[in-house]
Formats: sequence, structure tokens, C-alpha cells
Amino acid sequence: MDLNKRLFRLDIENNKSQPPPLNFTMVTTPPDEDEDDELSPLKLREESSKPSQIDLAKRVDPVANVQPFDAALSRIYRHTPTPTVVLDASLQVVEVSDSHLSFAGLSRDVALESFICDICPRVIPALDIATLYGALRAAITSRDIQHVDNIHLPDPNSYYSLRITPIYEKSTLLYMTLEAHSITKKFSNPTNNHHSYVNDTYKVLLDTVKDYAIFMLDTRGNIVTWNSGAAILKGYSARDIIGKHFSTFYGEEDRLADKPGKELVVCLREGKVEDEGWRYRKDGSRFWANVLITPMYEFGRHIGFTKVTRDLTERNAAEARMIAAFEESAKLKTDFLANMSHEIRTPMNGMLLALTTLMEAGLTERQREYASIIEDSTSLLLQVINDVLDYSKLSSGSFSLHPDAFSVDNVTGAVVRNCKSTLKPDVELVSYIAPGFPLQVEGDPLRYRQVLQNLVGNAVKFTDKGYVKIQTSFAEDMADPTLLNITTEVFDTGVGVPEDAHSSLFTPFTRFADSSTRRYQGTGLGLSICKSLAELMDGSVGFRPNPEGRGSVFWMTTKMRRVDIKVPLRTLSPGSLVENDEDIEAKIHALAPHKYVLLVEDNLVNQMVMLKLLKNMGFARVDAAWDGAEAVRLVKQQPFAYNLILMDINMPILDGVEATQQIRQMGLDVPIIALTGNALKGDAEMYMAKGMSDYIGKPIHRKQLTRLIWKWIGT
Amino acid sequence: MSETIDQNTFEQILEMDDEGDNEFSKGIVFGFFDQAESTFDKMEKYLADKDLGELSSLGHYLKGSSATLGLIKVKDACEKIQHYGAGKDETGTNDEPDQEVSLENIRKTLTQVKKDYKEVEDFLRRYYGEPSS
Repeated sequence: MDLNKRLFRLDIENNKSQPPPLNFTMVTTPPDEDEDDELSPLKLREESSKPSQIDLAKRVDPVANVQPFDAALSRIYRHTPTPTVVLDASLQVVEVSDSHLSFAGLSRDVALESFICDICPRVIPALDIATLYGALRAAITSRDIQHVDNIHLPDPNSYYSLRITPIYEKSTLLYMTLEAHSITKKFSNPTNNHHSYVNDTYKVLLDTVKDYAIFMLDTRGNIVTWNSGAAILKGYSARDIIGKHFSTFYGEEDRLADKPGKELVVCLREGKVEDEGWRYRKDGSRFWANVLITPMYEFGRHIGFTKVTRDLTERNAAEARMIAAFEESAKLKTDFLANMSHEIRTPMNGMLLALTTLMEAGLTERQREYASIIEDSTSLLLQVINDVLDYSKLSSGSFSLHPDAFSVDNVTGAVVRNCKSTLKPDVELVSYIAPGFPLQVEGDPLRYRQVLQNLVGNAVKFTDKGYVKIQTSFAEDMADPTLLNITTEVFDTGVGVPEDAHSSLFTPFTRFADSSTRRYQGTGLGLSICKSLAELMDGSVGFRPNPEGRGSVFWMTTKMRRVDIKVPLRTLSPGSLVENDEDIEAKIHALAPHKYVLLVEDNLVNQMVMLKLLKNMGFARVDAAWDGAEAVRLVKQQPFAYNLILMDINMPILDGVEATQQIRQMGLDVPIIALTGNALKGDAEMYMAKGMSDYIGKPIHRKQLTRLIWKWIGT
Repeated sequence: MSETIDQNTFEQILEMDDEGDNEFSKGIVFGFFDQAESTFDKMEKYLADKDLGELSSLGHYLKGSSATLGLIKVKDACEKIQHYGAGKDETGTNDEPDQEVSLENIRKTLTQVKKDYKEVEDFLRRYYGEPSS
């Protein structure tokens, strides 16, 4: 078709200068309402009015070549249901089908012997004489069938294509058939040709819509149309508003910010713009509006905008009512949970107490076994209730954090020890902390521990062999340098999490593990509590499969505040006094491997005992010096290496007090604890005044020393 | 034995032993024996030299290790020697200006502490299943 079109154009160009052989008086060029997609109607119209000519008659000899139309065969064309016209080489109609006559509304007499160009192109059908002529010309020159598509007939509203078949005998043109094929079905949307009808319908439609303000703006944003919905919504009559700029509806602030103008710019760029906000009525009252602006184009030219405005006030009020109702019901639910858990806990405590007494009452082996089953179940039940309590507190927002300075490393150590008892024999439980991790951070140690305990507890529970690895790292917060982003990851080689459960892992009361077996006990609340707690600590929790293949990685991030640990003197906080010795011992044990201690003691027996004591407390790196001078030398070699110095007082060469003074003169604030046999009050004050941090009397008792060390290097 | 050995302190030393043997505590205790005996010898020598300063220092030295093991009597005696050597009375509160008195006090205390030490040494050697010396 492209080729033919080109031929057709070429032909028109070539023949421009030739004299017109045709009588154009009969040809009417119809108003060009339907466009041929590819041909400019304007151009066609122009060209068709110019003298155009074909010299077909010169090339063919109609008399010599036209054979008398065989009567029998002519019946084919006469009766074919396809509207068909047969032309001879001189383009005179030699046969026309009945179907075409009825289609065109012509009589046979008029049609026969007519020159094709004398027939109104509408009834052939053709767009206009020029198109038809071009197509004929193309058919003759190319000796091939030509189609003219998309011929629109207004009455009845229909579309046709015209098929022009040149029939040659060798190089001689004998006939041409013109067949009209209806293609109306392809054009299901005929509206574009009913402008007036459509316009009327639309006008009625627009005016019937009362709930939407629908109106048009010109390219600069001035209002050009106004519907009754707009009149009702905005309170302006059409006469009031047409010609005014649409920014009239905006508030002062929006106008100052040129929001209306910006909306039009965005609208042109994006193809539409939607906005929600306050709009003002004529009487000054405002409503919450949803606004949609769309640019309008006609023939590719921007002619303005359509604007649709809805009043969302009522919808927003309804939404607010729904949210309130939802919140109310959620609150009732959590209140109920909290109350129930509380109510269950009280009798549970009674049961536990009675159970403990029972178990001490000299039970037989069998009875003891049953009693311990009760005990296990009871403690699980308590765990469930506590989880539910936590959960309901978290979801009601009544959970608060208690920030305190604490050591992440210590907490990790405590969790590791806590989980060791449930660790399966083929599983290794290890923890790593990033080098340079701050000794202390400020956060809620209990909540941090709760989350970590949960994650590690899960990992241990679901891992039968391999490892459970805790990795803690930190980074300075980009926005606030006093904050640290702490990432704690728990790697395991356990059962892993099936892919379909990834999304629901942190949803309350979902437990993927119990779908297949009842092997693992739990509430299904743990991870959801972790999530809420982590969020409370400005962090998050998440899951990814273990990159080493089997198992999971659960991670948590939290934000903790930096703590300035350079406090020269520290007193035991009231909180730490109530901590029991086992706890502190455990904490020291976790902390100790990362600490470097210098022991200064001149007495062999005491030194051996102290070294053993420190080793048992978990300190792996302890240097020993025999006197103050050696101690000062060691500190000079590695000024910042030691986390703690334990210093005897009476020593040969350089005593403890002098050694301490020399160390302080180096500008070091490492805690130095005096080990003294003269535990007199005045002595202690003198030691402190000379730069020692604290003192402990000999003989040194483990618990005392543990507490003291905890005071200085723990929390 | 309870007035000679502070049970809590000594138990703490025993607790440092690895399970199944008492190598560590035994090493400490026998180390202390060596230390005590050589200290007593030194004390006798400085007593003869009338060197109160060294005597006080030795008293302090042995006080530390005896305290660590919980050997109360030995420790108390050593503390007295420390005070006498520093020119004080036995509690270390009042001055004793007379050197000869101090030396005499030390001599008496040293004789007594050697007896006390012998007693606890025999006990501890029996405890570790060694023949008393």
C-alpha cells in the first residue's frame, strides 16, 4: 500500500501541468470530516481542485481492444453481491452489479456508459475524485490490484474499502473492476464524526454530573467552560467565573507559591496532574478537594486543560471514622490480651510455688518425672503469657525504653552463655564483635538482650549441627555522629526458612515450624516482638538465607548513643549494687577475653594467686610486673594497651603510688586499682589523691575483685 | 585450725585448682613455705643488724602472701613486725621512739610467728599428704 500511495502521489505531481480533460462540475468534494490517516485531506483537496489529467486514452485504444462483453459472463458481474463496477480501458462503465446499483442508489441506465469520473465519488465509493483517479492510475501503471481503504460514507454511517483490479491481456488493458468491500465492523467507534451530536451529549452529561466540577481551562489556565457540578461545588455561576483564572479556587498560600501555575507545567510534562488539598468556594468556605488536570490537544496542538474537582470532605470524614473504629477495636483487643495474660499469670505463680514445694516433698522417681513435665509445661506457658503481655504492650504503644549505658559485648556474652545449655552437641556457638567496638553504648540493655536472646535462641533451637554465629558491628550514624548504628547478625546452619514463609516471618502468631511437626515449641510471637522492639530502638530486624547454603541469617539493627567513657572516677550505680554476683561474674567472663590487664605485684605467692584468679575470671591477656619501675616501663611501651592495672602498694625500687603518679603523668586515664594490705581509711584516700582509681584490701577475695573490676571495666 | 587459717580465703585458693588435682594450690602453698622460711632467715639477719627499716619491709612482704593464703596468725604477726619496724606500737597507731624496744618486740614476735608458722606448715603438709618437715 505504501508503494501504491507513493505512485499515486507521484502521479499527481507529474500531471499537475496538464490540461484538465474532465468535467469537474459534477464532482463535489465532500467536507473532509474523516481523515485518511496517511494522507493530508488538506493537500488532497487542494490538489483535486487543480487541473489534473490522465492520458490513459492515448495509451490504450478502447475501440480496438474492447471486446463485446460476453452476455453470459457479464451475469457474473451483474449479480455479484459485492458492489462492483466494470470499466473498459477508456474508463467508461461497461457493467455494474445490481448490488452496486442498490448500494449507490443509481439506475443502470445512468451508470452504464458513464465515464467513471462523472459518477459522484461517494457512490463508487471513493473519498474524492483525486484519490480515485490516483488509484486508477496506480492500478494501470503497476498492473496490480489497488486498495483504497477507510472510505467513510456518512449515510448510513459506514466504512468501505475500494479494490481496483486492472485486467490486462499481455500489455493491453482490457478492463478494470472496482469492488466495494464493507469494513464498517472494524470501526466500532463512529463518534468522532458526530461532532454536533456528541457535543450535545457531552454537554448534557457534564451538566447532569452534579458531584464533580468538570470544566475546561485555556492554555493559560483561564476558565472557558463551567458545568453545574462546578457551580454547586464552588458556588460560582458560569457568568461569574468564565474568563477568570483557576487559581481563584486556591488558598492564599498556594497562590503565593504559584501552585496553580506549577500544576499546569507538571500537567503538560507528565500528561496529567493530580492533587489533593484545600480549595475555596465563592463564599470563602473551603473544602478538601481531589483535583485532576489533564491537558487537551487538538490535531497535536495544545488547546487547554480539563479539570475535574471532587469534594473529599465527606470521604475523609468517613475514613477518619473508620480509622477511629479500627483503633478502638485494636485497643480493646490489646487491652483484653493484657488483662487476660495478667489474670492468667497470677494463678500460674501459685501453681509454680506449689509445684516447687511438691517437688521437694520426697517424690518417687515416677512422680518426679511427672512433676518435672508439669514444671516444663508451666514454664513454657509462662513464657507464652509473657510474650503475649509484651506483644500487647508493644502494640498498644505503652512499651517504653529505659536507656542506660551498657556493653554490647557483655550482653552478647550473657546471651551466649544463656543459650549454651540448650545447644545441641554438634553445634558450635560463637560470637564476634567488630574491632574497636565501643566499650559502652547508651541504649536499653534489657530490650537489646531480649531481641538478641530471641534470635540466638531460635537459631540454637533450629540448628542440629554446624554453627550459630553472632556477629556485631557498628557504624557511625550519617545524620547524627553521636549515634551508632549497631548491626547484630545471627548466622546459623539450621533448618532455614522456606521461601513462602519469608514474608510472614515477623507477623504475630505465625509459626512456619509447626506446619510439619510439633517438634519445636513456641508462641509465634517471638519474632514479631523482636520486630517491634527493634523498631522501638529505631532499628529493624530481618531475615535472609545463609549465603553458605544451609540455614538462616537473622539480623537486627539498632541505634545507640555513644557514651564518653573517659570518666576518671566512677561510683557503683545503685542498679549494679543489686546485681547478683553470678551475673557480674558472667558479664566479666564475657568481657575479659577482650581486655588487657597489667598486674604489678612483688610477692611471688600473691602474684601467682592473682594471675590464677584473673585467668579464672576469663582474662587471657595479663602482664605481670615485679615492681613499680617495671610497671611504668611496660606502660610506656604500650601506652594505650592496658584496660586495667592492678597495683600493689609496697614494692621495692618504685612503689605503687609513685608508679601510678608516673603513669598519670603520661596522660593516661586507665583505671588503676590499688592492692593493699593497709586497708586503712586514710590510706585509701591518699591513694586516690595520688591518682589511683580505687583500692582493694588483701587478702583479695574473688567476689570483691569481680565487683570492683566490673565497676571499672563493665557497666 | 580455724584461728590459724581463714577458711574462706584458703578455700578460694583451693577453688583455683583444676578438677581432680591440687597442683596449683599446692604450688602456691609450698612456694609460700620457701618464702616464709627465707624471710624468717632474713629477719634474723636484720635483727642482728638492728635494721628496723628492712625488718618492717620484710614484715609487710610476708604479710601480703600470708594474707593471700588466709594464714591469719602469720599475717597478724608479720603486720606487727611491720609496725614495730616502722617505729610504732603493735597496732601501728602510736609511735615507739625507742629502737631497742622495737627490736625486742620484733624478736619476741618473730619467735612466736615461727611457732605459729610451723603449726600451720605441719597442718598444710599433712593436708597435701606430705610428711611434715
